[in-house]
Amino acid sequence: MSVKVWAFSESVPVANEVAAAASGIAQASGGSFTVVGLDDSGPKLAGEDKLVLTALVPLSGSPEAAAAALAIVAKESNPDVILVGSTRNGKEIASRLAVKLGRPCASDVFGVTLDGGSLRGKRNIFAGKLQADMALPLPCVAALKVGAYPVLPASPAKGAERAVGEVATKTRVVEKREKQRGTVDLKGAKLIVAAGRGVKKKEDLSLINDLATSLGGAVGCSRPLSSDMGWLPEEHHIGLTGVSVRPDLYLAVGISGQLQHVAGIKDSKVIASINTDKSAPIFEASDYGVVGDLYAVIPAMLKELKERHR
Amino acid sequence: MRIAVCVKHAVDEAELKVDSAGNPQLKGAATKMSTFDKNAVEEALRLKASHSGEVVVVTVGTLEAKKSMKEALAMGADKGVLVTADPMSIETRRTAELLAAAIKKGGPYDVVLCAEGSSDNYSCLVPPMLGEQLGLPYVGYARRIEVSGQSAKVERALEDSVEVVEAPLPAVVSVVSEINEPRYPTLIQIMQAGKKPMEELAPETLAPGLSAAPSFVSGMKAQAMARKRRVFEGPPDETAKKLLDALASEGVLPR
Repeated sequence: MSVKVWAFSESVPVANEVAAAASGIAQASGGSFTVVGLDDSGPKLAGEDKLVLTALVPLSGSPEAAAAALAIVAKESNPDVILVGSTRNGKEIASRLAVKLGRPCASDVFGVTLDGGSLRGKRNIFAGKLQADMALPLPCVAALKVGAYPVLPASPAKGAERAVGEVATKTRVVEKREKQRGTVDLKGAKLIVAAGRGVKKKEDLSLINDLATSLGGAVGCSRPLSSDMGWLPEEHHIGLTGVSVRPDLYLAVGISGQLQHVAGIKDSKVIASINTDKSAPIFEASDYGVVGDLYAVIPAMLKELKERHR
Repeated sequence: MRIAVCVKHAVDEAELKVDSAGNPQLKGAATKMSTFDKNAVEEALRLKASHSGEVVVVTVGTLEAKKSMKEALAMGADKGVLVTADPMSIETRRTAELLAAAIKKGGPYDVVLCAEGSSDNYSCLVPPMLGEQLGLPYVGYARRIEVSGQSAKVERALEDSVEVVEAPLPAVVSVVSEINEPRYPTLIQIMQAGKKPMEELAPETLAPGLSAAPSFVSGMKAQAMARKRRVFEGPPDETAKKLLDALASEGVLPR
């Protein structure tokens, strides 16, 4: 069966990831894939066949407008599979497309393949405790888990442009603030030291910072520290509802290891943890664990690191 | 102001048992109100407190879902509506369709609130589908909602940015858990919850014509966690050394 696949994300780096997945399934089925972009994203997108949608209003800032434009063009060219990057806005776009086009839909899917008349893939459920096998009958919409595919290098070729004209939106973005960049880039970090409830006072985070600095890593935290205590900004929150990370080393300090937290660190190469409670679930999810008080173990680590670097 | 808040009664992921072959024991598994739904209920109650009105809890679930509904009623919601269908065995779109039909039937509402996603599936698809199906403005991932007159100003948290979005009411809004700290009902509230009205709706009469599409999940298995699980115990200076040695031999420490 020769299928027509669309690859789309409102985020250009994610779009190039989705293009890699689309290219894989299109090749396997002898089909074709088109990378679909918005506004001026054309030259930055990877892939042979490109289509850039424009409208009288900017599309890239509004998932509502993007979905409306995509639906107009999808109704004409009827791709069998529409792959979308599973970002927060991407999931909204996928949902809206599924309803507008009357198609089945799933989010955070990875390992996609075509099997007869279905798109097969997996997704993590129950905070990562289980993996579900999905089979979406074609034509369908699937939002792909971010970070699950390599990024295709962008080729500079410009694709075809398609103007859709008027796109009506019900909501209006009145303000947009970029989160501070440079302070924390957990997604791309090679080494992360993350703090949890084992840290007793906000001032004690200096210990975590010292260890992260000494190891050349970034600082993250479990949900209570950012959401409940407000000790660190939200973008440090690692877990199911926060950031998913995949560093070479994830060092969990004073984190008990609730499923929701572990869901965000599963793809780390090595996981290590320090916790006073020997029965804490974090040890089940770790390669190396130290049963001990972070207030004693971290200073000992800092001292040892200093000696080794002398 | 009339507020509908959608909740889901879900299997408790922390209590879910898996057998030696990796198969989940879903039958008889412990259940609870989906974790983040409590934030949606809390936000509904806060809106009611500052604008007065009524909070109606809407659920698609089996009869067991009455437990979650009662919990939301104990927190302070006024009325419950249960659409009797098992969300585990129907497609996400169908769940959204049934919620939309129940909301239309009991409407008009000024605000429809949901959590960003459920603690079991966390697909985050139902809230935008609901907005689309109701033909209402939809704003996702709200961490602050301000309602004045006939519009809402919503601060939404995205991966790399924060947006303030204006939406005319009625609107569908999904919230993230940072938005508030859900209240605990008192014993008296828990006892009184049973006396609050609860309506049951059959999916066939609510939304005939719509197909009861099956779930697209063809199987589920426990995830193998291939971790070494080596644990060091002893005096801190010894365990610190052992940990650093182990990490150095893995090649994950900076040289």
